[in-house]
Amino acid sequence: MYIKGVGMTKFDYSTRHWWDFAYEAAIEALRDANMSIKDIDAIVFTSISSAAGGEHQTHKVSFLSDLFKTNVPIIELASVCGGGGAAFWTALKMKGFNNILVLAAEKFADNKSEIVVDWILSAAEKVCEQTEGMLFPTQNALIWQMYMKKYGATMDDLSLIAFKNHQHAALNPKAYFYQKPIDLEKIKNSPEVSSPLRLMDCSLSVNGGAAVIISSEKTDIEVVGSGFATDYILTFGRDDITHFKATRLAAAQAFSQAGITPADIDVAEIHDAFTSVELISYEDLGFAEEGKGAELIRSGKLNLGGSMPVNVSGGLKAKGHPISATGLAQIYEIVHQLRGDCNERQVANAKIGLTHNIGGAGGSITVHILKKV
Amino acid sequence: MVFYICPKCQKKWQHPVGVCPFCFSDLERIKTSQAKVVASSKVLIPNLLHPKIPYYALVVEDEKGMKYAYKSIKERKIGEEIIFETAESDNAVAIWKAGYDLLDAVENIVALLSNLKLTEKSKVMILPTLISPVHNYFRDNTSTEFLSAVLEYLKIKKVKNIQVASQSLDDASILSLAQKSGLSAVLAKNKIDLLDLAKTDFEEKGKVKISKEVIDADLVINLSALKSGKGVSTDNLFRSIEKENYSALKYLYGEDFIAKEIGKLNNVLTIGEAIHPQRSDKFSVFRSLVFASKNSANLDAVFNVTGMVSSLPKYLKEVDVSKIEIVGRSILEVERNINVVL
Repeated sequence: MYIKGVGMTKFDYSTRHWWDFAYEAAIEALRDANMSIKDIDAIVFTSISSAAGGEHQTHKVSFLSDLFKTNVPIIELASVCGGGGAAFWTALKMKGFNNILVLAAEKFADNKSEIVVDWILSAAEKVCEQTEGMLFPTQNALIWQMYMKKYGATMDDLSLIAFKNHQHAALNPKAYFYQKPIDLEKIKNSPEVSSPLRLMDCSLSVNGGAAVIISSEKTDIEVVGSGFATDYILTFGRDDITHFKATRLAAAQAFSQAGITPADIDVAEIHDAFTSVELISYEDLGFAEEGKGAELIRSGKLNLGGSMPVNVSGGLKAKGHPISATGLAQIYEIVHQLRGDCNERQVANAKIGLTHNIGGAGGSITVHILKKV
Repeated sequence: MVFYICPKCQKKWQHPVGVCPFCFSDLERIKTSQAKVVASSKVLIPNLLHPKIPYYALVVEDEKGMKYAYKSIKERKIGEEIIFETAESDNAVAIWKAGYDLLDAVENIVALLSNLKLTEKSKVMILPTLISPVHNYFRDNTSTEFLSAVLEYLKIKKVKNIQVASQSLDDASILSLAQKSGLSAVLAKNKIDLLDLAKTDFEEKGKVKISKEVIDADLVINLSALKSGKGVSTDNLFRSIEKENYSALKYLYGEDFIAKEIGKLNNVLTIGEAIHPQRSDKFSVFRSLVFASKNSANLDAVFNVTGMVSSLPKYLKEVDVSKIEIVGRSILEVERNINVVL
């Protein structure tokens, strides 16, 4: 399958309706594809906020039918932060459709932070984790604490990741931190939110939408690898708590399908809900050996201008993270990188790109590989 | 802690799934007792379920290597074992955060009140909350799951003489209440008939006439389906009083008086079920908590404090919670505003 069009809104704190984000992203993707909605045979949609939160809106498939004045099959699926990647994976597997619109929209920043934190907490296991205060940053803080103890990485390594992503976001007009770079000292000195993770280790929960049109018709961007794996919701009931097994499984599927290795990747969008997750993911994706993720970020190879820039969009950290829309926004970035139209943040000679999208604390993970043909 | 293991595949679950999906063997229940801290994060982000910060989110490991999430209000060191002290005072209140295994919750909550002696010869009476003919999910009455867990606990303790009793203080038939609430089915499964205390003899204790069956029991387990803003635990004990006597005392002296009198019974253990307790607007909220005490008023007072509820009956407002010995989980570990989220 090929990618025919992509679209996304700016990620910010706009209080538009959830469907407005979806619509704007879809229109951009349709224009990018030089298509109209009548050319779309099916829609796969993902979002959690409209049901979980203040929008109080379920049955969104019917809502989308109304917005787009279409009667095609519309599937809604949810996989929290991994929804975009999961929707994309699902669309790729659907047979009998020529053009599928994969769409995500999230209006999450819509109330006091205690409520937003509570909505995100609902992705943890209800009886065993939510009741024991396992907020999302907290789960990741504990994972990182155990990783640091085992492999000797430091908080300064995470600072480098945050700094890198902010430097990149400053060049991305769609990013929340566009033209707003943040210096390294400010990152290092940001207050702890759930020790040892600091405020600047955490991605920003913002609002926004993204869309991708996949097609059986050949275009310049081919999806050459697609992997999806899951892992237990009880984070601390897994065998290995310092890595994400589902990333390794999904990556193995994607690389095997594509017939390439991690060394062939020119540019990657890696799920950095927390800087610690990005570092651990270098290893899980095969870009670094186990325990050597810190060496990789210290090398500078992952910065723009390096041999394999990561999160040139700014990542979840600095572009922003509208939960379900993130996975499709990653596809958006890689497509534009492969097309060569990213201006100041263009990765030179990008031919093969990778996206990595995580749901929850590693509970559902997709890896996709795109190639310029 | 409790987990479940397939005896054949050796796969482990923390969820009580019952059967292994690989080989369909019945899973074995494994109970562990140690909880050693292996990681700790100081949390500074308030949220609706955990409004008081800082608290410490721990990963604890048991003696079988299983790891669990655990919230502590105290800072704990890596390697520290979490140990629960048992109660010294008879008026103590035990608080436990129940997981999926209610039997484990009952075992732990009772163990925290250590001077409870149960033998094969013990005569135990259970007083479930049975107040309205509604389905289990309304949470008006003791839940079927909780009654089942308590009966299972008594079975493990080899107690043979178990009565389950109630009395209607209005015109409702307790049999119809038990039927609609699902408790009848639990009793039938355990081959226990529901005793109507209205049909028993009553004995005067001061001004109050109490069922002799209640007085003569070695242990009365008062199963309170806790509700915010109410003294449900003590209210449930009213059902052991002769109905006319209760009505007269209520008219002459008020319920606060009756509460004080019934509180003098010295063979009562109240176990308060707060898995999904009701709020004052009758919506139920998920708390996943169990309370226990020999002092029903203390239990109700502590329960309401954990829900940040201040509108209470007079006799409960007079309880000074700061002077009550709390064992198990601390109030701060489980406290949240129950009016904010379901």
